[in-house]
Amino acid sequence: MSTLGYRPPSGAYDEMLGADGRPRPHWEQLAEAFAELGVDELQRRRGEAAALLDQDGVVYNSYVSDGEEAAPQLRSWKLDPLPAVLSSHDWQAIESGVTERAELLNLVLEDIYGERELLRRGLLAPEIVFGHAGFLRACDQIRMGGPQLFSYAADLGRDRDGNVVVIADRSQAPSGAGFALENRQVISRVLPSLYRDAQVHRLAPFFRTLRAALQDAAPPGVEDPRIVVLTPGPLNETAFEHAALAATLGYPLVQGRDLTVRGDRVWMRSVGQYEPVDVILRRVDGVYCDPLELRPDSQLGIPGLLEVVRNGNVAVLNTIGSSVLESPALMAFLPRLGVHFLGREPELASAPTWWCGEREARDYVLSHLDELVLRPVSQQGGPSMVIGGELSSGTREWLSERIRSNPTDWVGQEMLDTSTVPALSEDGFEPRRALLRTFVTARKDSYAVMPGGLTRLQPEGGLIRVASTAGAVTKDTWVLASEPEPQAAFWLHSGPAVRGIDPMSSIPSGAAESLWWLGRYAERAEALARLARAVSDRHNEFGGSDNPAGVESLAALEAALAWLAGPTRNVAQPLRAMLDNAYAVRDQLSRDTWLVLGPLEGVIGELEAPLSAGVLPTRALTQVISSLLALGGLGIESMVRDLGWRFLDAGRRLERSLALVSLLAVTVQQARGIAVDSMLLESVLSAVESIITYRFRYRSHAQLETVLDLLLLDKGNPRSLAYQLELLSADLDALAAIGTGAARLAPEQRLVLEATTTLTLAEPAALVDENADGWRPGLADLLSKLSERLLAVGDAVDQSHFPHTSPSYSLLGPAGAEPVHRRVA
Amino acid sequence: MIYAVRHSTKYSYEAPVSASYGQLHMLPREAPGQLCRRAEVHVSPTPEVYRERIDFFGNRVSHFVLQEPHTELAISAASVVEVDDRSGAVSLFGERSWESVRDAVADHQVDYQISQYVLDSPLVEAAEQYLDYARDCFGPGAGLLAAVSALSTRIHQDFAYTPGATSVSTPLAEVFERREGVCQDLAHLGIACLRALGLPARYVSGYLETLAPPGQPKLTGVDGSHAWLSVYMPDAGWIDVDPTNDQLVNGRYVVTAVGRDYSDVPPMQGVIYTEGKTEALEVKVDVTPIDPDG
Repeated sequence: MSTLGYRPPSGAYDEMLGADGRPRPHWEQLAEAFAELGVDELQRRRGEAAALLDQDGVVYNSYVSDGEEAAPQLRSWKLDPLPAVLSSHDWQAIESGVTERAELLNLVLEDIYGERELLRRGLLAPEIVFGHAGFLRACDQIRMGGPQLFSYAADLGRDRDGNVVVIADRSQAPSGAGFALENRQVISRVLPSLYRDAQVHRLAPFFRTLRAALQDAAPPGVEDPRIVVLTPGPLNETAFEHAALAATLGYPLVQGRDLTVRGDRVWMRSVGQYEPVDVILRRVDGVYCDPLELRPDSQLGIPGLLEVVRNGNVAVLNTIGSSVLESPALMAFLPRLGVHFLGREPELASAPTWWCGEREARDYVLSHLDELVLRPVSQQGGPSMVIGGELSSGTREWLSERIRSNPTDWVGQEMLDTSTVPALSEDGFEPRRALLRTFVTARKDSYAVMPGGLTRLQPEGGLIRVASTAGAVTKDTWVLASEPEPQAAFWLHSGPAVRGIDPMSSIPSGAAESLWWLGRYAERAEALARLARAVSDRHNEFGGSDNPAGVESLAALEAALAWLAGPTRNVAQPLRAMLDNAYAVRDQLSRDTWLVLGPLEGVIGELEAPLSAGVLPTRALTQVISSLLALGGLGIESMVRDLGWRFLDAGRRLERSLALVSLLAVTVQQARGIAVDSMLLESVLSAVESIITYRFRYRSHAQLETVLDLLLLDKGNPRSLAYQLELLSADLDALAAIGTGAARLAPEQRLVLEATTTLTLAEPAALVDENADGWRPGLADLLSKLSERLLAVGDAVDQSHFPHTSPSYSLLGPAGAEPVHRRVA
Repeated sequence: MIYAVRHSTKYSYEAPVSASYGQLHMLPREAPGQLCRRAEVHVSPTPEVYRERIDFFGNRVSHFVLQEPHTELAISAASVVEVDDRSGAVSLFGERSWESVRDAVADHQVDYQISQYVLDSPLVEAAEQYLDYARDCFGPGAGLLAAVSALSTRIHQDFAYTPGATSVSTPLAEVFERREGVCQDLAHLGIACLRALGLPARYVSGYLETLAPPGQPKLTGVDGSHAWLSVYMPDAGWIDVDPTNDQLVNGRYVVTAVGRDYSDVPPMQGVIYTEGKTEALEVKVDVTPIDPDG
């Protein structure tokens, strides 16, 4: 180890090295292996890990907190290649301690929303519950069929003496388990032989348990429950994880607008129908879940949800209201509560915590401010945590006064010097302080703990201040098995066979809408990039030239580009819209999609400027074309022809049709003389990727009649309008067959049929006729009819298939959305 | 007294409403000195789901889900309530000093539920300015009831009661600065003052019978919903005070619901789905005495 120059600070507990400076027994093998690999090789592996994470599209949205408008920024997930390692012995203690704590917290939660014996008998101070924003009075007396606390996470740290203590409890909707799984998948690929040899406990069984627990949580009598994962949406900090979790578990990812309460139940608005929902795994904070009874300004919830929960017709997990367990003061009471419920203090201690509502504790906190972290119970408006040691004397005085005047609202907690772990730096291993988030899920009568979890490194010279898992550098966490584990693949498990889901039956209509727009914007961006490239070629040829035909054709092409690019005149706009839609449905897309879309994030900045022939970002445009070509290929090769694919494909086909019709309209409706027309047609052919076919087939300069044949009528040309219409029609037929099963044509089918007929009946000779001004009335008429029908197809699909929830208003209520009820007296 | 209370609300919408979810605090709750003989809510069009329950505070709540498209929604609550004048009995308990009440609550010598009424609530933050405002009324050793009455008088004198001056979204601090408001605001202000002093105070919504001017018949639909505050006194329980009219609550008041502040007990909460706006809102309240012998 000495070769790597790893020197943990003295006085702290180091996870790898013992007090004697030698690797602890469970680290020996790995420490040796790391030394053998060497720093350069490990850095190479780190690069590999970063590339894998990029390919999987593992990101989080970072909200910059300063400034009014915090626009989310996508950040790459940060993973250190060296795993954190726990011995089987250490793990057993953590596992049983965390399980016991979950059981204890479950009893506390049950009591808080039930009998409130703890408050009545003075075992828990009422201010800790009543003063915490997570205590939702509307949820009083709601009792889940299974455990009240379904999933839970504990942030653990090891103190100076090597004892594991709980620093924070997460009971709202703990995040990070999906990231932990992702870390594992990457590290096991980057360090395959180490991983294999180390006999690491696998993570898949945990997710299997979670899946089984979700099934068990369904209301009584439901045999084959419909389960969904509720996310606040793609802009949420941990949106990646929501999609990853949904995909791992195999349940639809939905937003509030995808669900609705009708009668006594919750339903998913799915394409063509409503499907009943039995279990909701929520990643939306409780208070946002029902604008009727909780926050009236919430756009993330489902009005009326709470009443359905109350009547036992849907299980929402974690229970709405569960975050009251995060009241920082609760930790000060857990030893007493352990004695009350379990007959002993919990095995796993919390970081020493003092609730200032008790006089002695208050005195202690006030005289030790410098050593403590201070947290308000209510957290209304103010900071969620203050580090005593960082205060100026003025603010310390102010804080002391606040604590004295409102003691029940304040908690002091000891700041732990948590243990250090080796992390890879530029020139070796450096010690970094770390926290471990462990994940717990209900299992039958007790709990299961994910073996390992998410290790997060403290920023240098600071503390992890946020409850969220995003932001910090993370590590995979290895729990070493004392004996080899039996292999059990996720998909091969015993138990009753799960009924397969009919691929044509089940997709939230919100997701369908995103896929449709994903297809449309992808095609829009691609068409624009291709045209820009064709314009650029002409510019290279004739920019500054005095060839009059060349100059005129260039001008016509530039005008076409300006027209087709729309008001922003750039490629970034459709590209960004496409990516936004892709993020909204990431659970529906294969992992390879991110391999293809990832590089676009890197070039989008170059595509912001308005397109202009002289200064086209050629490299970026080429990247766009190649990525979108690959996306098209993925769609053909890797996607099941399910409902989602139909929407994606229909979107692409419609947009490609529209782009072609518009391009022809702005370039060749008006004749400009043989020389100019010929050059324009050549550019059009290359912009729609048909130039090679054309040359091969006609072996001549471009002529209008043959170009129109190839681009409009030739069903053998995959870029032709006839071809797009044929596929679009097939997609729409498949979609129309769901739900209704009616024999009558849907409006969008009728419109496509009209467009196809108009095209088929067009008289080729009439299309090329010119009048005295060079205008081609036959062609102009055809293109305008087609364009009108195609635009109408878009509207019709929108009407037929997507949720048309009218805007919702909170009628009345505390936040006072107008109109308000008359106020008298 | 026995009253027949009728509270009807009618919404008219510009465009059809496709779904409406509602929660009402309109049925009179159980309260000392008050007996609700019968009460019912009627919603039109008829909702798919209508259910009643008792909430965390012991109030009666109606819940409905309406999925039939509609352009008008009518909600009416009708009840017959027998109320006693409880203002007279209150003075028997009035001797206890306000500090002893404050200390008893801080030391958890009262029912655990009481503790929440000293804490801030969504619409009432017990900021320092309210402490300063109320301090004169709460001299050392002052009896709780006398001090609260003095505070009520002070609010009544300093603040203009101006219907329409504020909306439910007007923050208390703004009311305090402008020195005017409606009954909710004055109740909230009194609550903020009491909590700033460490005294448990809660919000009460209900009705007050208004009397016709002498010599004139009482018109229908002129009464209104009303709000006042309640302060907790160990041994005596909750004592209701109406700062808007500067009096102890008597036999002409009917209690509907209690909470930490208005946000816990709005008469009507709802979410509707529609493309248009609410065009008109019509509210009628009648509090009519019933002759017990008649």
